[in-house]
Amino acid sequence: MTESPPTETELIQRAAEGDSDAFGALVTPHLSLFHNGIHRILGNTADTQDALQDALMSIHRDLPRFEGRSRFSSWGYKVCLNAALMVRRSRVRIHDMERSEFLTLGPFDDRGHHLESERLPEWQVEAQAHSLVEQQEMRECLTRALDELPDSHRIVFVLKDLEDWETDDIARHLQLSPGTVRQRLHRARVLLQARLRTHVLGGRP
Amino acid sequence: MKLLPSCHDVQTDLTEYAEGTLPVSRRLGIRLHLWMCWVCAAFARGLEALPGIAKTALAPPPEAPGAATDALAQVQLALRKPPGT
Repeated sequence: MTESPPTETELIQRAAEGDSDAFGALVTPHLSLFHNGIHRILGNTADTQDALQDALMSIHRDLPRFEGRSRFSSWGYKVCLNAALMVRRSRVRIHDMERSEFLTLGPFDDRGHHLESERLPEWQVEAQAHSLVEQQEMRECLTRALDELPDSHRIVFVLKDLEDWETDDIARHLQLSPGTVRQRLHRARVLLQARLRTHVLGGRP
Repeated sequence: MKLLPSCHDVQTDLTEYAEGTLPVSRRLGIRLHLWMCWVCAAFARGLEALPGIAKTALAPPPEAPGAATDALAQVQLALRKPPGT
C-alpha cells in the first residue's frame, strides 16, 4: 500500500517547523505563478530572481502566521507582489514619458481628426490568438512591449489591468494621485495597443 | 469649448471615460463621437480588449523557469543552515 502524499496543510505545518523539503514541496506547484507575478512588475531577470528569493524567505518566515483564511497560493502571491514592489521602490529609474503623443494613435489633421482612417483596422478581433504558435508569438510580443514600457507606466498597467487593483489602491500604494495613475495607465495601454496592432498586422506600422 | 470633441481629444480621454471620472458634458461628447466615428470606436474597443488579451497571453507558463527553481534552491539551502553560520 502506498502512502498518500502530504496535504498542503501538513506541508505548511512541517515547513513552518523548519523542514526545507516540505517548504520546497509546498512552494513548487506555485513557483511559476509567483515568478510570473514578480517578473511582470520588475521586467528584469536579475531583479526578479532577487525579489523571488526575498519573497520566498518572507513566505517561510510568515508561515506560522498564515491562518488559512485564503488559499496558500493567493497569500503567497500577495507576498511576492509586495516583494516586487519593495525592490521596485529601491531602484532609481527615471523615464520621460510625459509627452502627449503617447496618449493617442494618430495621425490626425490640424482639427484633431483622423488622417488615413483606413489604416486603423479592427485589430482587436484579429488579436485573438488561437494556435499554440500564435499564442506563443502573442506572449513574446506583449512581453517585449511590456519590457519597453517605462517602469512607472508598466507598474500601473500590471496592477490595474493584470492584477485588477482599484485605481485608488494603486494611487495609495505608489503615492500618486488617481489622475496620474489614470494618465499613466492610458499611455501604457496606448503604447501596448500600438505594439499589438503592429504585431497583428505583420510588422506594418 | 467645442461641442463635439475631436478624435485626438477622444483618444486622450478614453481611460478617464471608461473610469467614469469625466464631467458629464465631456462624457456625453465622447459618447456621441464614439457613436459617429468608427475609427475611435475601434480604438476604444481595442483598449477595452487589451487587459483580457494581456491576461491570457501573459499567464504563467506551466513550468517555472530555471531562475525560479534556482531561487527556491538557494532559499532551501539557507533554511538548512543553522542560524549564525
